[in-house]
Amino acid sequence: MRNLIAFFRRFRVFLVFVALQIFALSIYFTFLNFPRAQYLTSASAVSGSILTVRNDITKHFNLSKNNDQLQQENIWLRQQLPNSFQRLRNRTYEIDDTLFHQQYLYIPATVINSTVTKMNNYFTLNIGYRQGIKRGMGVFSNKGIVGIIHNTSEHFSVVKSVLTENINIDVMIQPIGLFGILKWDGKDARRGSVTGISNDLKIKKWSKVVTRGGSGIFPRGLMVGHIEKLNPVEGKPLWDVVMRYSEDYRSLQRVYVIKNLMQAEQDTLEAAIPVDKEE
Amino acid sequence: MNDIIKHSIRFVALVIAQAYILNQLEIGFGIQLMVYPLLIFLLPFELGLIYLMLIAFVMGVLIDAVSNTYGLHTSSLLLFAYLRPFIMKVFSPRDGYENQREGNIFEMGPRWFLFVFGTLLAIHHFWFFLLEIFRFDEFFFILQKTILSLPISYMLCYFLQALFVSKPKER
Repeated sequence: MRNLIAFFRRFRVFLVFVALQIFALSIYFTFLNFPRAQYLTSASAVSGSILTVRNDITKHFNLSKNNDQLQQENIWLRQQLPNSFQRLRNRTYEIDDTLFHQQYLYIPATVINSTVTKMNNYFTLNIGYRQGIKRGMGVFSNKGIVGIIHNTSEHFSVVKSVLTENINIDVMIQPIGLFGILKWDGKDARRGSVTGISNDLKIKKWSKVVTRGGSGIFPRGLMVGHIEKLNPVEGKPLWDVVMRYSEDYRSLQRVYVIKNLMQAEQDTLEAAIPVDKEE
Repeated sequence: MNDIIKHSIRFVALVIAQAYILNQLEIGFGIQLMVYPLLIFLLPFELGLIYLMLIAFVMGVLIDAVSNTYGLHTSSLLLFAYLRPFIMKVFSPRDGYENQREGNIFEMGPRWFLFVFGTLLAIHHFWFFLLEIFRFDEFFFILQKTILSLPISYMLCYFLQALFVSKPKER
C-alpha cells in the first residue's frame, strides 16, 4: 500500500498528463467517428452566439454575391407564380400537358445611377439590349414598381421612373378593384397620386394600390403603394388620391425588368380596334 | 501589473485570436497558424506542471469547442505543456532559471527562445497534424504541413511578443 502511494506520488504529474490526454483523445476519436454529442461544439449556446456576432461582421464581405444569388432565386420563383402564366382556354384540344403558359420573364438588373429630386427622374440600369432589354418593358423591385424602360443602348438602359410627370401607369385599388392612373407631382419622392377615382366610392386609408396589368407592361397585382389621403378635386366628382410608394426610390438598387412574351400578340389584337371617328 | 491579471488577459486574447481569426484563415498548402502555445510557454517558470497542464487543458477545450475540432487542440497543447519543463531543462542557461520569471524574448534572449520554443512548437505542430490526418500513408503530407506552418507560427509568436510584451527595465 505504501509502495502504491509512493508510486502515485512519484508519477503524479505523468498520471495527470495521461488522464487528460486520454480524455482529449477519446473525445477526438469518438467525435471523429460519431459526431453526435452536442456539448463542446460550436452549436452550443455560448460559442454559437459568439459565432453569430462574427457572422454579423463578416457576412457583409459577401453581400453583393449573396444578393446576386438571391435575385436569381427570386426570378426563378416569380416565374413559377400564377400571374406569370396565362391559362389556356382552348377546350377542344390541349397543346401542352400544362394548364399554364409562361407569360412574363424577369431579367435582373442593378440601378447604377438615379435621381429623385428632379421633376422627371430617370434611372440607369446596368443592362442593355444585348441582355434583351427593349423600350417599353416594365421595371420593378421586390417592394414595388419602378418604371418603364425608356431607352436602351448596347449595355445600359434608362428607365422612365414612376417619379416622372406623365408616367401614367394604370393601377388598381386593391380590395374594391377600382382603376386609376398613377401620376406624380414632382415634389415628394415618397408620394404619388392616383387620378380618375370617382368620389362616390368609399376608399379606406392604407388600402393597397397594385398594377392593373392592362397594357401588358406589368403583370397584374404588382405592389405600387398604399393610399395615404383622399383630397377632393374642385368641380369634378373625383378624388385626388395621395399614395405613398412602397419602395423607397432614394435607396433603390436591385430591380427586375419584365419581359412579356405575349406583348406582340396583345398589341396586334388591340391595334385591330377601329379608331373612334369623333375624337 | 499583477501576474494573474496579465496571464488572464493573454489567455482570453490568444483564445479569441486563435479560434476566431487564425482558425478561420485559409492560406493554402495545408498551412495552419497556431499561436496559443505561446500562453503556456510564457507562464512563470516556477508554476507547477500540474497547473500548467490544467490551464492547457482548459484552453484547448475552449478552442476546440469553438472551432469544432473536438480534442485536437487540447491533446497537442497538453503535450506541449507536459514537455515544457523537460525541453527547458535541456536548454537551460548556466545559472538556471532563478533570476528570470517568464521565458519571453527579452528576458531570455531570442536565441534561447528559438531553441526552446521552436522545439516545443515543432513537437506540438507535428502531433497536431499527425492526429488531424491520422493516416500513415499521408506521412509526407503531415511533414509538409508541419514544416510549412511551423516558421509562420513561430514568426507570429515572436512578433506578438515584440509587440505586446513589455521590455524589463535595466537592472
